[in-house]
Amino acid sequence: MNSEKLIYIHPAPIRIWHWLNAAGIVLLVVTGFQIRYAEILNLMQLKNAISLHNYAGFGVIAAYFIWLFYYLNTGKIIIYFPNLSTFAAKAIKQAKFYGYGIFRGEPNPHVMTPENKFNALQQNAYLGIMFVLLPAQMISGVFLWKVKGYSDYIHLLGGIRIIDTIHVLFFFFFASFLVVHCYLATLGHTPLAHFKAMITGYEEHH
Amino acid sequence: MKKISPPIRIGLAVVVAFLSMVPVARAAIENSECFGCHSDESLARSKPDEMNPSRMSEQLFIDETRFNHSVHHNNGIGCVDCHADITKLDYNQEVPHKKQLEPVNCTMCHEEAAAAFKDSVHMKIRGKGITMNCAACHGYHYVTPQESMSVAERTKNGCAKCHNPYQSHDWLPQKTEHFSFVECVVCHVPEAPRHIHLTFFDLVTNKFYSGQEILKVLGIAESELIPLLDTNKDGIINVDEFENLELILRQKNVHAIFHAELVAEMHPSAHHVNRGTAERDCKTCHSADSPYFNAVTLVLTKDDGSADHFQVDRAVLESFSLRHFYALGGTRVKLLDKIGFLLLAGGCSVVLGHLSVRIATIPLRRRKEAEDKQSNMHKEVSR
Repeated sequence: MNSEKLIYIHPAPIRIWHWLNAAGIVLLVVTGFQIRYAEILNLMQLKNAISLHNYAGFGVIAAYFIWLFYYLNTGKIIIYFPNLSTFAAKAIKQAKFYGYGIFRGEPNPHVMTPENKFNALQQNAYLGIMFVLLPAQMISGVFLWKVKGYSDYIHLLGGIRIIDTIHVLFFFFFASFLVVHCYLATLGHTPLAHFKAMITGYEEHH
Repeated sequence: MKKISPPIRIGLAVVVAFLSMVPVARAAIENSECFGCHSDESLARSKPDEMNPSRMSEQLFIDETRFNHSVHHNNGIGCVDCHADITKLDYNQEVPHKKQLEPVNCTMCHEEAAAAFKDSVHMKIRGKGITMNCAACHGYHYVTPQESMSVAERTKNGCAKCHNPYQSHDWLPQKTEHFSFVECVVCHVPEAPRHIHLTFFDLVTNKFYSGQEILKVLGIAESELIPLLDTNKDGIINVDEFENLELILRQKNVHAIFHAELVAEMHPSAHHVNRGTAERDCKTCHSADSPYFNAVTLVLTKDDGSADHFQVDRAVLESFSLRHFYALGGTRVKLLDKIGFLLLAGGCSVVLGHLSVRIATIPLRRRKEAEDKQSNMHKEVSR
């Protein structure tokens, strides 16, 4: 359509990080369920699930550093930090769109640009995920990987039960987020538009 | 010959029969007589022509103090109860008994353990020329109870004398963690009874509290512990009662954590180690219904190596009272599963709800799209 305009939103390092991260998170969720519910699930042997979970975990950690290096190096990390003076109003507007306007075919109040690719709600969610939840999950995962080796840190943080609780709660959060994230990705101008953009790097603007 | 009347004859027969049942010679030899010679540290057998002298064959000194702390001495077992071939001491000889004694036969008393051992890999290796006897693991004169020992001590004093667990177990993930928290026998003799062994560990001094130390802190005698903890008097320390113990310790300014390990009970069946029978299915332990966590005991250790065990509710393992122990899947907190279910159900509900409304409002958006198109066309025509 001639009204479409292609904008390069997702640079290659971010696309690589995204899909590595996505594959890793899916593997972590599947193996995570197998590990926690070994008496119910029989997707694979428990020890294989644990090995796969460990490899996927380190894959996600490696991908995280690709993401961090890219955003710190380019200075674009700023896109994750909301402008506090306009954040509340924008967030309310965006929530209204998702909760009402989208059903009426109203345009998305947020216009994606390389410098401002997240809407206020995404900004809020990804800030928490990338700077708090994912690091906490990675650190707790590494501690659980070598309980004896990190026992001093584990004791300092209150014990293995506390570390496990953090890891499990965030695990359920990420499992739930995966479902919601995939669904939200279908809210582009076509259901597959955002998926395509994360492969090609180009978002279509209308 | 003078005849003995029948009543006297019967009486004599009874006396003779009674005397024949008493181990006269053994009872006559006291430990103190043995230690008369064997407490001499320089006492040794002089056999320079022996090709393979062992420590036992050379050195004949027995540390009386250590022996007196042994489980055998504490149970009234004397030297000649084991060295049963010493029936008398002849001090006219250089050595007052046979120079070469028969090997001690532990199975005289430990029949069940012997039966289990006879059908074990440690007996079968005799066919390969390796002789392993009781003393190889348990030692000789200074055998002490092992109930109070940690997994590390049990391994060091037992299996690790011959086996390096790191050289095998290649299939096992998290080797260090397993070897630190699970006694070898637990997996290698799955039929042996086992329990979670809860002891008090001070993170500041990095030391275990002995039972006496804990009782001293609490200011009570051992007999008062259960009445203090088991407030509902059901004989089991439940989660609330366990938390109460933690609170009492905090109030006494004791920063002890509960250190949990999975150990085998001191049961004869523990000797029944065999190839190919070890537990290798991770799920047996790492699942919510694992039988390995059914028995949980709070342990008050004693200086002689024995311990008093107090039954604890399994639910304690699945609670935040026990923050320093977690067996993947096996002792999981069920509350987290409920929270997790809510999180997943919440995410799925939001998606399904939004998707349903999106589908239901498709006609609305199509109508709006058509109206917009029409309005755009009007605008273009009017231009």
